[in-house]
Amino acid sequence: MATQSPVNAILDETTSSSTHPSALQILHDWLTTADHKKIGLMYIGYALLFLVVGGFQAILMRIQLAIPNNHFVSPQAFNQLFTMHGTTMVFFVGMPVLFGFGNYLIPLMIGARDMAFPRLNAFSFWIAAFGGFLLYFSYLGAPGLSGAGSAPDVGWWAYAPLTARAFSPGHSTDYWTLAILISGIGSIGTAINIVATILCMRCPGMKLSRMPLLVWIYLVMAMMVFVTISPLTAAQIMLLLDRYLGSHFFDTQAGGSAVLWMHFFWVFGHPEVYVLILPTFAFANEIIPVFSRKAVFGYPAMVAATVAIGFISLSVWAHHMFTVGMGPGANTFFVLATMTISVPTGIKIFNWLATIWGGKIHFTSSMKFAIGFLFQFLVAGLTGIMLGSAPFDWQLSNSYFVVAHFHYVLVGAILFMLFSAFYYWYPKMTGRMLSEKLGTWHFWLFVIGFHLTFDLMHIPGILGMPRRIYTYEADRGWMMWNLLISCGAVIQTVATLIFVYNLIWSYFKGPVAGADPWDAWTLEWSTTSPPPSYNFAVIPGVSSRRPLWDLKHPEDPDSNYE
Amino acid sequence: MHINQEHSRVEVVQLPSPTAWPLVLSLGIALLCTGLVTNLFIGILGLMLSICGCVGWFFQVFPHESHIDVPVQVGDVQVLSSRTLQDRLPVSEMHRKFLPIETFHIGTGIKGGIAGGLAMTLPAAIFSLIKYHSIWYATNLLAAGGFVSWANASDAFLSEFHMRGLLAAAAIHGLTSLLVGLLYGAMLPMYPRSPIVTAGLVAPLLFTGILHSALGIVSPILNDRIDWFWFIISQIAFGLVCGFVVNLSAKVRTAQFRALPFAVRAGIHISSDAGPQEPTEISTTDQKNEKRDRPE
Repeated sequence: MATQSPVNAILDETTSSSTHPSALQILHDWLTTADHKKIGLMYIGYALLFLVVGGFQAILMRIQLAIPNNHFVSPQAFNQLFTMHGTTMVFFVGMPVLFGFGNYLIPLMIGARDMAFPRLNAFSFWIAAFGGFLLYFSYLGAPGLSGAGSAPDVGWWAYAPLTARAFSPGHSTDYWTLAILISGIGSIGTAINIVATILCMRCPGMKLSRMPLLVWIYLVMAMMVFVTISPLTAAQIMLLLDRYLGSHFFDTQAGGSAVLWMHFFWVFGHPEVYVLILPTFAFANEIIPVFSRKAVFGYPAMVAATVAIGFISLSVWAHHMFTVGMGPGANTFFVLATMTISVPTGIKIFNWLATIWGGKIHFTSSMKFAIGFLFQFLVAGLTGIMLGSAPFDWQLSNSYFVVAHFHYVLVGAILFMLFSAFYYWYPKMTGRMLSEKLGTWHFWLFVIGFHLTFDLMHIPGILGMPRRIYTYEADRGWMMWNLLISCGAVIQTVATLIFVYNLIWSYFKGPVAGADPWDAWTLEWSTTSPPPSYNFAVIPGVSSRRPLWDLKHPEDPDSNYE
Repeated sequence: MHINQEHSRVEVVQLPSPTAWPLVLSLGIALLCTGLVTNLFIGILGLMLSICGCVGWFFQVFPHESHIDVPVQVGDVQVLSSRTLQDRLPVSEMHRKFLPIETFHIGTGIKGGIAGGLAMTLPAAIFSLIKYHSIWYATNLLAAGGFVSWANASDAFLSEFHMRGLLAAAAIHGLTSLLVGLLYGAMLPMYPRSPIVTAGLVAPLLFTGILHSALGIVSPILNDRIDWFWFIISQIAFGLVCGFVVNLSAKVRTAQFRALPFAVRAGIHISSDAGPQEPTEISTTDQKNEKRDRPE
């Protein structure tokens, strides 16, 4: 029995333009745009570019480590590779792609025409982009330890005293510092925009309790950006002062403290993990219900858990420093705080499972990646609890076990959910559907490659393989594991290339999506695909958390139950 | 989505006008920073671009924000759902889920945790007295998990009174007791048969098993010196007292109860939520609540 419930409601109608602008006009249009959707797409495109670069660096490192006593790259180049890979993936892939989705989706989801400060939005993107370019200019212009043209090589933590001028002469470290500093300005600008947009520009009827969970989570994430980027910026300025103006913040020989840098960095660094992963929770909150054909389970608990994660994540940073010797009191506090954060996170996992439970599940590519995310995030959380216990961490700190754990979070959870988001919102952004067949290939190859790489990576860590090691002797027993790990990385690369091909092919040849290809419930699906520059011809009004459900099913609207 | 062309009309939407000044300003700042590590002239160029960007941006928004008018056509839109409804085979009421209409108040778990935590100290103190002739041994042993410097402490040291040991142990024990008490409050209604066996035997043994496998990681010193026989006795003491206190408390009604029809809540009519043996017709309110949890 099929039903269709037509509803007359003034929402939108796009005027089509038949003129074809020149390439110069298109370039001018994109360079000067203040439209949140174009800026969002530029963020995403910029992040994908750096994803390819960072992925290429990872492959080079895996080739170097695949067999013992290998000299595929020099030790200096290897140091630069892991420094640039970590910095790129966190600051120039993770942050921009999530800001990109936020930029694109938040105004559409809350029924607004643009972000609160469109010009600040453009400025934030461009300055973040120039930060990335400045970092990579160091490959050409930075005279560092190994001469002209050397990139930063102090690791993405840039621990003191390695960053002091005595140990890091030349400007390679300065490029790292300045690039992070100016991209941080962009992050703060975007966070201001997100908070102001969400608090001030919601459409009539959209109370806080009716906001889509994605919007709620972006609000918390933006608040966290304020708190986390500030200490990092302060630390970068202090480092510059140490290096050039004779201050001694991190100079232990002159009364400074190297541990002070660690605290500054991890006060930023650990909440940053949540800044990166919270938006992927946001994607899961939108995608899992739609493909389970059920409303999300436990909306208030999800909001409360998000806010709780936002607060607790600010008090766990020193679990990265158990081996520093902080003392039993501090160790105990940070162990307990780290354990505590698993409670709201667990609530979220249970709620997603409860949403799927009993649902009419549609196994689209997007849903497959979302389910992969659920499973892998759980495993990543379990190894996180292991490392969050100080005695365990004392044994495995700075080993490949830690590398495996955080890649389980960053790839197994964040990247999987990002892929899911691409499959879900690509039709809205381009008006074309991504190929499900290629998506299925992408999913299964990536799952196989991911587990081959990162499941096995725990083992050399347990066997004592330290992170950042350039090469190793054949008698350590690590070779077979490393070879398999590198094979997994190659499979992931093939899967990613299929994804990139799918993005390009579908843009030209993919089936036309229509406004609402998933029969979804949030406002972005009420306008055309891609949306017009003004988003909505008439600002919509909402009376529940699923306004499109209400329009499609006026006989049984959600507003009766909320 | 289907657009009805007959009722469309033209309106104008104002949007922020495109501008290059944010790009200029950001490029200026980036070059200003680049000048610090490359060449002074690049820094000067960056400064000039920054000033131009600021001035240009200023005149974009003052005295009036620059905008463009975008003509739009507004019309009626039919929002359609592509969902399908399927007739389902009737299933037995026995296969339906039954959500509890009553549970314990959250304070019950806290009270149970406090009472159980106090009861647990008795076997621990007896163990300390019998084995080490001091009631402080168990206290200090628990606290030692938080103090690295106590890792190699002697039995004599652990048998003495230490204020920081007492405070640390009180904090660890108090917090754990509260959390386990809350767990009891939440879970005991799920196992209504033989609550004392569940609370006093099954749960303590399960908890002991979990702790036995994990204690080596959580607190190696406690793992080395713990006496598992006395630990199980203290766990059972906790479980019995906590379970007793929890079960003694009156239950409160859940949201499921409030969702029942008035006739059921008033006791005039028996709800199907009362249990699988008493099936009744599902009321309209029940159906509405089901919709939230059931797929299309």
